[in-house]
Amino acid sequence: MPGNRTKRSCTLLVTLALSALLTACGGSDDTSGGGGKVTLRYTWWGNPDRAARTDQAVALFKKKHPGIDVQTSFAGYDAYKQKLATQAAGGDAPDVMQLDYRMIDQYASGGVLLDLGKRSAELSTAEIDKGLLATGRLGGTQFAIPMARGTEAVVYDAKQWKATGVALPRASWTWDEWADSVREVARASGKPGSIDPGQSEDCFEVWLRGQGKSLYTKDGGLGFTADDLTRWWTFTDGLRREGAVSPAEQTTQIDGSVENTPLGRGKAVSDFNWDAPASGFQDLVGEGLTLAPMPVWRDGTPGQYFKPSMFIGAGATTSHPGEAAQLIDFMINDKDAAKILGATRGIPVNESIRTDVVPGLEGFDTTVAAYQSSVEGTLNAPPQAPPSGDSALQNTFTRDYDQVSFGRMSPREAAENYVTEAKAELR
Amino acid sequence: MTTTDIPVAPAREGHGKPPKKRGGRRREGAAWVFLSPWVLGASVLTLLPMAVSLYLSFTDYDMFNAPRWVGLRNYVQMFTEDPRYWRSVGSTLTYVVIAVPLQLAVALAVALALKFMRRGKAFYRSAFYAPSLLGASMSIALVWRAIFNDGGTVDNLLGTGGWVNRPGWAMLAVALLTVWQFGAPMVIFLAGLQQIPGELYEAAAVDGAGRWRQFLSITLPMLSPVVFFNLVLQTIQAFQVFTPAFAVSGGKGGPADSTLFYTLYLYDRGFVASHMGYASAMAWVLLLVIGAVTAVMFRTSRSWVFYADEEGR
Repeated sequence: MPGNRTKRSCTLLVTLALSALLTACGGSDDTSGGGGKVTLRYTWWGNPDRAARTDQAVALFKKKHPGIDVQTSFAGYDAYKQKLATQAAGGDAPDVMQLDYRMIDQYASGGVLLDLGKRSAELSTAEIDKGLLATGRLGGTQFAIPMARGTEAVVYDAKQWKATGVALPRASWTWDEWADSVREVARASGKPGSIDPGQSEDCFEVWLRGQGKSLYTKDGGLGFTADDLTRWWTFTDGLRREGAVSPAEQTTQIDGSVENTPLGRGKAVSDFNWDAPASGFQDLVGEGLTLAPMPVWRDGTPGQYFKPSMFIGAGATTSHPGEAAQLIDFMINDKDAAKILGATRGIPVNESIRTDVVPGLEGFDTTVAAYQSSVEGTLNAPPQAPPSGDSALQNTFTRDYDQVSFGRMSPREAAENYVTEAKAELR
Repeated sequence: MTTTDIPVAPAREGHGKPPKKRGGRRREGAAWVFLSPWVLGASVLTLLPMAVSLYLSFTDYDMFNAPRWVGLRNYVQMFTEDPRYWRSVGSTLTYVVIAVPLQLAVALAVALALKFMRRGKAFYRSAFYAPSLLGASMSIALVWRAIFNDGGTVDNLLGTGGWVNRPGWAMLAVALLTVWQFGAPMVIFLAGLQQIPGELYEAAAVDGAGRWRQFLSITLPMLSPVVFFNLVLQTIQAFQVFTPAFAVSGGKGGPADSTLFYTLYLYDRGFVASHMGYASAMAWVLLLVIGAVTAVMFRTSRSWVFYADEEGR
């Protein structure tokens, strides 16, 4: 990597100068010599439920490995994404970090991630489905290990939905049937039947895939046209005007945390989310929380897919690669850890653990597992990992739809806006 | 700079003997020793990052791969191809024009009220100053968001819905947060008011001038250097507004880009979209614009700022 030197010297110059000033305050934590304890930094994103379970699992790890201390920190997805990017740029990536499908390309090609293929002594990948394992690979190097798989779902409050007398969401319902249902739910309950999916790139992708298209082409270009996006936004904007989906003032508050979505705030009856994180709604919605498959295209083609729900990787600059690999191994292969973690990161990808864990699941995890087996075999293969510009485009998508839902742009104008920006971003 | 003044100073006082070279040099050395923490801090924490940022502004840098030299492309793109850039300029100017005069007017009004207050002056002075001390903090901005959110206090009292979730109202909510933090300019106004000699008012009262006349003919002119100082300071601050907008809009400058202030867009380009080169270019343009605006204010100040010691010149 010839280019890396310039970049390094740039950021290093600043960080070195800074650390020269700061070393006096914080004693060096270089304890690899032996004797002292090794400290690993492990960061991830998620909700408080996941936090509690992760801390429990980490406590168990520390008990089994008395020589290793683990400091965890977590944040909501948006904040996590920004913080990690900044840390990585400063050459200060955590020792162990949770990664998203969308981050792999950028982080691996930027030299931020450790080659885990070389750590087979500490880290076993034997039990992981080969196809899924490959999604963490780039140019033949295993940069990250998938932790679990997830799929999108319509998350709804079955109690409220039933109270309206409208037929419940069912397998292979079409987008039009979905629209009719939320319209009726809204009419009967007096509040929007669903959040507005127009702001969600994920929902758009499902709708698009149902028509045999995709977000990105094989070579990382844009896989759809402004016409496609115009049709999607015209569809959702129409539903918003009717009051069938959440109004702009509510939709704009969606930021990736369950607390800030209309369903979580008690202002809509259903939501779209990935299956595992939907567990976060439980405290807010209560017992009625249920999952239903995503709507399909008119001809029955599903757009929904199983995706490695998140990855775990190690920082290329970690001074404890062996211990980092041990922690990763523990998180994906340890049976006791699996019992604690349940399905909070999705249904585990480790096959023996999956067969072990699924029957023992409790609460909402059983709902997730049942939901996954209900759609098993009916879905098409996942798309390839998105290009690195996608991270920023997710925000652009939401923002451009804001312009539509606040009536400041027509769906056509916003769609053209998006396509222009996307083309610049994916250069 | 001050360092060179030190050995020269005794000579100027004219005690006859020129200062000994050796003593001067030793004192200069001491000055450098005492200055070194500042010099080190300024060069490492300010000058070096500035130089790096100037360099980056001519590159395409995504924080993961090496910066790629692109010449003026970032600047060209900013001015000719980026509608969001101009939206951010527009919101920032709107904000500066609304928030600064409003804040200064409130600060002056409260300072006047406090000047004439007989009891509890100290209490009110600190009470009004407190928000400015807290103001820079994220927590106050978050509380502000909660107050103006739907289901928040303002919504409950006025039934106007959540201000921060509506494009037309969010800007007002952010501006109000700034206005509420009028404490710092207020304290400076108060100090300025206390400098105005009481005889002027007595003389004016004898001549039959009313309160309003006194305010226009005595208070404002005598206070104009302080008004100028506050205006320059608050304008510079307003151009760089970040924390309140970041917290109130959930970090996105929303809804619908209505609170997309310049610095927020800069942050978005740099840390969210990973276009550090572009963000650096934006930062340099902001620096130049603030410099230009300040220069213009200093130019025009000659015609309206009145310094007492200029009398008779």
